[in-house]
Amino acid sequence: MWVYIVKRLLWLPLLLLAASFITFSLGRFGPGDPVRVMLGNRYDEQTAQRIRHELGLDRPFLAQYGDYIWNFAQGDFGESFRYRGQPVRDLVIRKMWVSAQLAIAAMVISLGVGLPLGFFIAHRQGRWEDPASVTVALVLMSVPVMVSVPALLWTFCLKLHWVPCSGWGGLFDPRILVPAITMGVPGIAGLTRLMRASTLDVLGQDFIRTAHSKGIGQMTVNSRHVFRNALIPIVTILAFSLAGLISGAFITETILGIPGIGRFAVESVFDRDYPVIMAITLIGAGAFVLANLLADVAYAFIDPRIRYQ
Amino acid sequence: MGVRELEAEVDRQTQRSRGHLARALARLARKKIAVVCMVSLAVIYSAGIFAAWIAPYDYTAQDYTVIRKPPSYVLDQGIGGFWTESHFAGTDRAGRDLFTRVLWGIQNTVILTLVAMLTGGIMIGVSLGLVAGYYGKRVDGFIMRIGEVFASFPDIFLVIIIAATLRPRILDWARALEDRFDLLDGLVRIGIVDYFVVSIALVGFGWIGMARLVRGQILYLKETQYIEAARANGASTARILSRHLLPNAIAPIVITVSIGMGAYVGTEIILSWLGLGIQPPRPSLGTMLLEGGHISVIREEPWMLLTPGIAAWLLILAWNLLGDALNDVLNPRTR
Amino acid sequence: MKKLVITLITLMTLAAIACGGTSQSADEEPTQTPPSASMAAPADPGATAEPEQAQTPGQPGTAATPIVALEQQPSELTEPLPTGTFRRLWSDPPTLDPHLTGDTTSAGVVVEVFSGLVALDTDLKLVPDIAESWTIEDGTVYTFKLRPDAQFHNGKPVTAEDFKWSLERAAAPETASPVADTYLNDIIGAQEYIDGKASEISGIKVIDAHTLQITTDAAKAYFLAKLTYPTAYVLDREVVEGGGRSWWIDNPIGTGPFKLSEYRIAERIVLERNEEYYREPAGVETVVMNLAGGQAMAMYENDEIEITGVGLYDLERVLDPNEPLNKEVKVSPPGFSVSYIGFNAGMAPFDDTKFRQALNHAIDKELIATEVLSELVQPAYSILPPGFPGYTNEIDGLRHDPERARQLLSESKYADPETRPRIVITVPGTGGTIGLDLEVVLEMWKQELGVEVEIQQVEWATYLEDLDEKKFQAYAGIGWEADYPDPQDFLDILFHSESSINHGDFRNAEIDAVLEEARTEPDIVRRIDLYHQAEQMIVDEAPWVPMWFTGDRYTLVKSYVEGYEMTPMIVPKLKRITIEG
Repeated sequence: MWVYIVKRLLWLPLLLLAASFITFSLGRFGPGDPVRVMLGNRYDEQTAQRIRHELGLDRPFLAQYGDYIWNFAQGDFGESFRYRGQPVRDLVIRKMWVSAQLAIAAMVISLGVGLPLGFFIAHRQGRWEDPASVTVALVLMSVPVMVSVPALLWTFCLKLHWVPCSGWGGLFDPRILVPAITMGVPGIAGLTRLMRASTLDVLGQDFIRTAHSKGIGQMTVNSRHVFRNALIPIVTILAFSLAGLISGAFITETILGIPGIGRFAVESVFDRDYPVIMAITLIGAGAFVLANLLADVAYAFIDPRIRYQ
Repeated sequence: MGVRELEAEVDRQTQRSRGHLARALARLARKKIAVVCMVSLAVIYSAGIFAAWIAPYDYTAQDYTVIRKPPSYVLDQGIGGFWTESHFAGTDRAGRDLFTRVLWGIQNTVILTLVAMLTGGIMIGVSLGLVAGYYGKRVDGFIMRIGEVFASFPDIFLVIIIAATLRPRILDWARALEDRFDLLDGLVRIGIVDYFVVSIALVGFGWIGMARLVRGQILYLKETQYIEAARANGASTARILSRHLLPNAIAPIVITVSIGMGAYVGTEIILSWLGLGIQPPRPSLGTMLLEGGHISVIREEPWMLLTPGIAAWLLILAWNLLGDALNDVLNPRTR
Repeated sequence: MKKLVITLITLMTLAAIACGGTSQSADEEPTQTPPSASMAAPADPGATAEPEQAQTPGQPGTAATPIVALEQQPSELTEPLPTGTFRRLWSDPPTLDPHLTGDTTSAGVVVEVFSGLVALDTDLKLVPDIAESWTIEDGTVYTFKLRPDAQFHNGKPVTAEDFKWSLERAAAPETASPVADTYLNDIIGAQEYIDGKASEISGIKVIDAHTLQITTDAAKAYFLAKLTYPTAYVLDREVVEGGGRSWWIDNPIGTGPFKLSEYRIAERIVLERNEEYYREPAGVETVVMNLAGGQAMAMYENDEIEITGVGLYDLERVLDPNEPLNKEVKVSPPGFSVSYIGFNAGMAPFDDTKFRQALNHAIDKELIATEVLSELVQPAYSILPPGFPGYTNEIDGLRHDPERARQLLSESKYADPETRPRIVITVPGTGGTIGLDLEVVLEMWKQELGVEVEIQQVEWATYLEDLDEKKFQAYAGIGWEADYPDPQDFLDILFHSESSINHGDFRNAEIDAVLEEARTEPDIVRRIDLYHQAEQMIVDEAPWVPMWFTGDRYTLVKSYVEGYEMTPMIVPKLKRITIEG
């Protein structure tokens, strides 16, 4: 097990190098130039050369890449090309925190609906509630974000006046309602199904039957044994979905004007803000690998049958 | 056991899995929801593919007498008039028929997602998965590590980078090619090149999931007795892969394709929403959703959002529900 | 310094759910007015229309006459200052460091927090700011007398030494300012300093603590106006040197009418009144700029902000006299800008004048303006916008005339569709749509002339690169906006064959000759006449299809807000606002 973890961790820097190299080359060899974007209509070869020189963009490709990686390894992510004077690290951390809050709110909705629903329909196996719940969850999940966000906004802000129409106020602000719903609802279907399967698994196990035979009440068995045991495999995938939610929220963020990392990532591509693009790629890839590893390890602990070489 | 018996046993195993598939399909046919999904998919897909013949108008035709008109039906001019004079889904600011535009938008989505799934998901994904799973060791490690690099890019970030940076250059190049060879005339105009770029972008991250899945299946299957028997029997690698391993991995592939198609549709819409997909004047669901999603438009002309919105929703929903039904039928563990 | 602006009508108004890319271009080029854009580019079309250059219609003193501050000293504080909060939508400024500022989004905040020697009034007149008076000798030696009471937000007095240090910091190569050359290179020695070849700017001299002398390399009428731009603002050396590149986030010390009391990236900026301001203090206590965005119109109607622009989709409703909103509509002064479709005269088929003219005649702009764009724009048949110096309504434009269009096409080299080269129009943007007006135009060409045109959308970074390299056969979705009110800024810059911004590679020796003559013509009447002549010749040659003058723009301002003025440029103006009740 430990060997496996160490192996995977050793692979991480290599993976980051590969991912960052792809992004770096696409940026440098593709069309578009951050200095031109910066200068816009003021473009003039001389000024551009001066700024390129200051930003180190006139050096050889590999030297730039090497320097970047070297600085990155030391925790220096550079300065944004677009947000002049702002360190990329601070920018990315702030935006990630916003997205993390959103992800948490969305998670609360997915879990809050998905887990009880899955648990409930596992006890109704074969009856109409079982397929109906999953179908309803799938129906909701299939609504494209570009439709659900404006529709919710129209309902909550213009018709009901529950929430202000402006973008973002933090985790405990009513404005989080619309993005949390749009991002949380698609997760319900998957969680319901998982919870259902997991509950059925537990229900079929010996110790539950034993508990029943001992005459312990249905409610107690359910709450003390079934629910808790059914949760275990779910927990392992949470870290993973959280990582996905952070990067996958950019449309919601864009439509609603939420200053999260998803929107920031897309903007940085259009601005050719190389330091930001690189930082997001590296952080995203790193988070992905770690979440993957975490999930693997958690699985191994839960299910001793799984072995990693 | 003699060689003969072994061979028979191997064939029986394969037969059995085919029988299993047939039975599963029969079960699927009994599921009403799956049938509904398949029928609606067939309808949507043919509507999209045959948009040129079905659509009552030209997708660029502008009519200033019917600007921003809500859905309307002409009932007094017979069936022909009903079809060609009505605006089933209303019109937009330039007086273009939304029903027509949505049909053409569906065509883009349908073609793109099919192409991307066939090339990326099925061809690349399945074959790499097979190879990785069968040969194992270094080959497996290499393919899976590459997959991990691609998969580790934050979601559709890579897609956007590719579409934003490479598309203009590929288009220039394709135009130059087209101007040189008469034969290729019109490729750019009808959007083939756009299709190509968008599907590359979709394929870029689409193959990994499939490859992983197939690899896992193969890793499991190749340890089973009958494959070992087939190998001991001197069957060629190609034969083992195509006759024995692949058929047994079909079920999970089918489920993944079905669910994956929903995701592909969603991604294609996001790309065109961002302006990185099929270019105007060809309509696409993403750009239509962009226009219709403005809060002031919803207030005054809700059909601008609802028409493309419902189309996109139905398309994704049908695939998701079908995937769910297939999962129930083909995947015995969760049944 | 020239101004190229995205004027995609859709981006201005339709692209509500603009994506990241759109917002990027919105910030980059705030002249487009996404008033209702969720991405919250500045919601005030007046403010967003502001050219970045501070060369103004004011009358910069050229004679050696002292200009003395006429403004009153801060009124005695006999009564408490008015309270009130002004809320508006703004987009996230790329920077708030005045010396790095090169875009209007940043400048709109910077001019309220920082200040310099001179400033622009809301009527775009040059007024004294920290310099209370100055003299000009020979048109080149400017001697500024600083206010003795001017101080930084931290209480430190502003001295001439501060100005010298600040100007040199702005020009220093390591600052990497995108605009230092533009705004400072008239000062003797500045270009050498910018290029890193000098240890100081020799043209800036500190005479005493409150006297500063700046010498320019030639008599330049616009020099003072250039000093109104943030590049020439004064900063506190200790604060800047102590805070590193991001000093303005941690410790934003300026001299302006407001203090930056809170800046949360992409969330909000809160400005608080500077009670110690050396001029009349601001009329509102706080200004909250919402950076997080949202749907501006809905926010306005929900009383979340006090001002918003009106987009195409809301126009009809807002202009309806029965709507309560109608009473809050303000009409902004027309922006000096024109949008157009440009042809590359160096590439087939646009190297044939008749072909270009045919395309011009085939478009019915009146129809598009009234039916499709709800009269948000005014059709353009000439180059110079109405109201602009040198504008004449006597230009005989290429109006809608399908007969003539077909005839011209048949006479052109490219009459035969079989041999006609393919035509591709490129538009910038990533908002998803290419602009409804352009889609209509394409359809008109197809219907009237049978000319089929392909369109491609290229995101802004690539677009800029290819435009500069004249790689486009035809391009649209952009417009030209005046920096300073002189026909030279339009006609010469855009159509002279040697101009670097002549993106369409348009060459006409006759027109060049007229334009060159106009450059040096001392007689104003004759000069304007030359420009009329040049404009008519250009229009006849049809290097463009001029599309729209952006015309009047509509803004909604809550009735309890007093003193908000629409200006076609960024100027310090929030201090004039008061909130009633």
